[in-house]
Amino acid sequence: MLRMNKLAKTYRTNEVKTSALRPFDLEVKQGEFVAVVGPSGSGKTTFLNITGLLETASEGQYWLDGVEVSTLGDKAKSRLRNEKIGFVFQSFNLIPELNIYDNVEMPLRYRKLSASQRKERVEKALEQVGLAKRQTHYPSQLSGGQQQRVAIARALAGSPSFLLADEPTGNLDSKMASGVMSLLQEINQKGTTIIMVTHDLSQVAFASRVIEVKDGVINDVENYAQEIA
Amino acid sequence: MGIYYTKLAMLSLWKTRYMSLLAIIIIAVGIAATMTTYTINYMMTKDPIPSKSDSLFLVRINNWSPDVIYGNEDEEHAPIYMAVQDAVNLIRHDKAQAQIPIAGFKDMLKLPTQDAVDAKMTFVRSSTRDFFSSFDVPFLYGSPWPQGSDKSGEQVAVISKKLNDQLFAGKNSVGQVVELGGHQLTVVGVLDDWSILPRFYGESTRAFKGPRDVFVPFQTQLNLELWSPNVQAFECWKEADNASVEAFWASECIWVYFWVELHNELEKDAYMDFLESYVEQQKALGRFQRPMLNELQSPAEYLKEREAYSSDSEIAVWLAICFFALCLLNAMSIIMTKFQSKAGEVALRRAVGASSVDLIQQYMIETGIIGLFGGLFGLLLSQVCLMLSSQLYTHLSKDIMAMSAQLMVVTVLLSIVSSLIFGLFPIVKAIRVQPATQLKSL
Repeated sequence: MLRMNKLAKTYRTNEVKTSALRPFDLEVKQGEFVAVVGPSGSGKTTFLNITGLLETASEGQYWLDGVEVSTLGDKAKSRLRNEKIGFVFQSFNLIPELNIYDNVEMPLRYRKLSASQRKERVEKALEQVGLAKRQTHYPSQLSGGQQQRVAIARALAGSPSFLLADEPTGNLDSKMASGVMSLLQEINQKGTTIIMVTHDLSQVAFASRVIEVKDGVINDVENYAQEIA
Repeated sequence: MGIYYTKLAMLSLWKTRYMSLLAIIIIAVGIAATMTTYTINYMMTKDPIPSKSDSLFLVRINNWSPDVIYGNEDEEHAPIYMAVQDAVNLIRHDKAQAQIPIAGFKDMLKLPTQDAVDAKMTFVRSSTRDFFSSFDVPFLYGSPWPQGSDKSGEQVAVISKKLNDQLFAGKNSVGQVVELGGHQLTVVGVLDDWSILPRFYGESTRAFKGPRDVFVPFQTQLNLELWSPNVQAFECWKEADNASVEAFWASECIWVYFWVELHNELEKDAYMDFLESYVEQQKALGRFQRPMLNELQSPAEYLKEREAYSSDSEIAVWLAICFFALCLLNAMSIIMTKFQSKAGEVALRRAVGASSVDLIQQYMIETGIIGLFGGLFGLLLSQVCLMLSSQLYTHLSKDIMAMSAQLMVVTVLLSIVSSLIFGLFPIVKAIRVQPATQLKSL
């Protein structure tokens, strides 16, 4: 479970103070599929980065699976990120000189797992995204949709509690995007909590809950489709 | 993780191969310059005989003119060598564990069966049998001449391996005869490969030349009156009675270095007492009219006083180190550029759970490998430089231009360690990227 209490993010440059996220409370329960929506520059990605421990909040408290993260050091945060969170990025972020197997294995390398345990997890994750036979291929040999599936497999390989996706279909055509969204839905149905930042309203339908970020203010939206209509 | 990081490092090196190669070459050039000059300086200044450096001493007694200070220096020092009569007397008194006069000459050497035209001018070292044991000289065949030969001046010789190869095709020549200046000498021993650098026991100006090829008893040189004034440095404050070699031997002319082996302070004190009584005795005979300045000088002290090695070589090492530091700064700038292109990968690895320490380890292995390749290439370049130096400076022993296995290991380790140190800043800079910013901009 994820709980944020009076969390806020402010950027300071010289004399200028910019409030990226105003103080908010939020709780995301295990198994939820949360879509984070809002206009560009509203603070969606900042929210996702703080959630994923890639950025630190300026104030407030944040519990990730019962662990208060604001006081954690680099090593503890890295470990928490490795064990609890999986990331899926808009531009896939695969390492071109590593093959698919090695790309998916990457998070597992930072855990004390044996080679056979890593192999088992990588193969399972690749099977889950339907790319079990492409282990020795390189990212450049795959389509955009396949590359994003590899990125999802990489996020899943560590069996995270939370999967954070930042515009996961932003670089894909509609057919590929639909495939990726179906995959995310399937993953969520198996119990993984997903928090997804998106611009695409058609994808909001996959989510069980919608959060809107507007001018740094975060609000739960009960019936998003009706609201924007 | 070490293997994983090494694999990533190799992939990264290949990906940025031109930059990596440039960094490797720059490090190699720096390390080659440093290690070439360091090797020469090290070989010139190293302890020539570590196991004996505390027990070998040059005996100095003040047997110079009553009217003038030796060397016309402000501070009076005893001469570095002594007259034949004093060397003979000290040997006869036999007060040290080993007594090693260092004298020499040159003459024509050939086999008795060879024609005179085949004789070759050869430099000969004359000493006692203690020379071989005190200076740890290895033998291939035979042994030093017996003690009796030192006393009687028997016509025996020990020859070098090189000379044995030339005259006897490398076969055991013990018992064979060589002809030196018309005198027949029986070979009693053949040395194995032997190099002693700096060659401290003789003239300091020749400290970096190899040992001579023929060794004969000191007494043999005296008996046969073998003397080469243009080879052996000598100084006379009083002319010999006449121009004969016999008169020269009996004169106050000084030219014999005299080393002794003393194993502890007690022996040293006892020998100093002996020298004092000897000088007093000589004073009573009308000799040694200058103040008593007896001294036992270690090889290192002797070489330092005689300025056997120039401080230029030390300056050259420092200059080379500065050059190496410049090379490393250049390599650092290349590594920084290389790592800047890794910002995306750093951000991704941070996102999937790599800590700063994980990334530092990963990239340190990469800079370590650059250092390793730089070190290996630098080692190769050093060998080429040393080979060229040995061809250029033919008056110096080739052994000075030879890198020991220990120095080879140091070369590679120095390259790795300095690459790690100079690579640390680019690494720290690279991993301080904001993952959030990088991942969004990818």
